[in-house]
Amino acid sequence: MDGIQLIDVSKEFKTADSYKVALSSINFTIHEGEYIGILGLNQSGKSTLARLLNGLLKPTRGRVLINGMDTDSPQQLKEIRQLLGIVFPNPDNQLICPIVEEEIAFGPENLGLSPSEVHKRVSWALEIVGMQEMRNHAPHLLSGGQKQKVALASVLAMEPSYLVLDEPTSMLDPLSRREVLEHLRMINQENHMTIILISHNPEDLMDAKRLIVLNEGSIYMQGTPKEVYGDMGKLGAVGLNPPGLYQLIQQLEEEGYRIDDNFETIPQLVEKICQK
Amino acid sequence: MNDIKLGQYVHGNSLIHSLDPRTKIICCTFIVIGILSSHNFWYLLAFLGLILVAIKYSGTPLSSIWRSMRGIRYLLLITFLFQAVLTQGEAVFQVGALSVTREGVVIGLINLLRLVILFLGSILLLMTTTPMKLSAGLEFLLLPLNKIKIPVQYFTTIISIAFRFIPTLVEESLSIKDAQRSRGARFDSPKILSNLKSYLAILIPLLASSMLRAEDLAEAMDSRCYGGNPNQYRMRTLKYDRVDIYLIIFMAIVLLAGLLI
Ligand SMILES: Nc1ncnc2c1ncn2[C@@H]1O[C@H](COP(=O)(O)OP(=O)(O)OP(=O)(O)O)[C@@H](O)[C@H]1O
Ligand SMILES: [Mg+2]
Repeated sequence: MDGIQLIDVSKEFKTADSYKVALSSINFTIHEGEYIGILGLNQSGKSTLARLLNGLLKPTRGRVLINGMDTDSPQQLKEIRQLLGIVFPNPDNQLICPIVEEEIAFGPENLGLSPSEVHKRVSWALEIVGMQEMRNHAPHLLSGGQKQKVALASVLAMEPSYLVLDEPTSMLDPLSRREVLEHLRMINQENHMTIILISHNPEDLMDAKRLIVLNEGSIYMQGTPKEVYGDMGKLGAVGLNPPGLYQLIQQLEEEGYRIDDNFETIPQLVEKICQK
Repeated sequence: MNDIKLGQYVHGNSLIHSLDPRTKIICCTFIVIGILSSHNFWYLLAFLGLILVAIKYSGTPLSSIWRSMRGIRYLLLITFLFQAVLTQGEAVFQVGALSVTREGVVIGLINLLRLVILFLGSILLLMTTTPMKLSAGLEFLLLPLNKIKIPVQYFTTIISIAFRFIPTLVEESLSIKDAQRSRGARFDSPKILSNLKSYLAILIPLLASSMLRAEDLAEAMDSRCYGGNPNQYRMRTLKYDRVDIYLIIFMAIVLLAGLLI
């Protein structure tokens, strides 16, 4: 049974005097090869969800299944973590090794791959994030954005089937942000890696084929970007604004234009309208 | 933050860089044994020459080594002075109640040379070997200790994490210091107690953030399947060349020569 399945998952944290509900009754299925966006404001439970997926946290209730394997069983954790890689939000605290190249080799090494295979993967991952020339640098001398790219490469090198990214663009300038998102799209299309991109920024999730919106620990909305972003009222009610493209489409439709196709960028939309 | 820090790896392509880390560790051990067991001034001087040639050969900038030498100049000076004054023997000249002896000067010079050689040898090792290679080499050489239930691979992981985080922690402590200073804390007060308080105000946030960091780091390592098994991959990249063997034989001969004269 391939794919990720969450069955009625809840997560509560014990605090000093009470229980803090971080997630409640989450149900969803993610198939292999999908590109999923998870959207939510601060404290909505996004990072908790990510940690549940590879068994760093165990659900208080419900089951998390990765390719049919329950994250609750310790024997299968290694296999689960090999299948599902996570890029964490703070790059400074997830880089382990004193040299970039060795950092990226860390995961593959732990999988027990042959040196030549590890070497190949390191080069491949560095190329994907465009950091070849930084191969022999020390991570602490890199900029925040470069660190985030190294963190991404070091998970990519494990060639997981599912790649979970928790706010991977928080330290990137607009240009590198677009670059990384473009890389993700390529990895999804060419390497058929499943991408689960977590963000509080709707613009980041434009490439996703399906969106899951979290609010206060529950699934608030679900659907294609067009469906989710099209419903400006419902999205606005929890303090999220759809990306500019969808605002534009909405306004055009209010003015009486019919926009049927899916567009990914504003220039595409403009071109289509000009052709009419 | 771009200046070369003492003993930090500097990338290069020299023969010394490409030597197997085990060779370098073994040679350093030979150096330690050699210089501690010999009392011959000329032998030590020759040894110093050897190390200087190796440093020149490694392409490490001599100026940065010279600068780092200045860091231990007082240690060297004190060692020399104490030996010169406190050794019994034929007085060369007198300063008040203290007399500098001929034997003292010789022993002082010998110990001075020993310290310099030790210092240069370890700097050369650290500057031409990546921490990861170093820990791979150490792990390989110490792995037999696993048999008596000493988990060597954990120690080498700890060493490599320390190498990764020391600069980060230094940076962080500087920025906490700036933050405290901008809120009026003083680090140069004549009162020791208030200075102490200011430094405590750095230490505590630093400790707190290190705890959080450690937690995150453990999660990241777990997520990437770290299992604490000996790092076979890292050690498999260790490879002995003919040069390595020649060098070890050469150093063994140098060591033997020192023991004999
Ligand atoms: N280890 C923990 N102990 C107690 N409470 C926790 C813990 N981890 C998370 N929480 C709580 O769970 C809730 C969800 O946190 P989570 O980190 O998943 O949010 P998030 O959506 O990732 O937010 P952000 O966008 O700020 O990263 C928060 O209210 C948080 O306080
Ligand atoms: Mg988060």
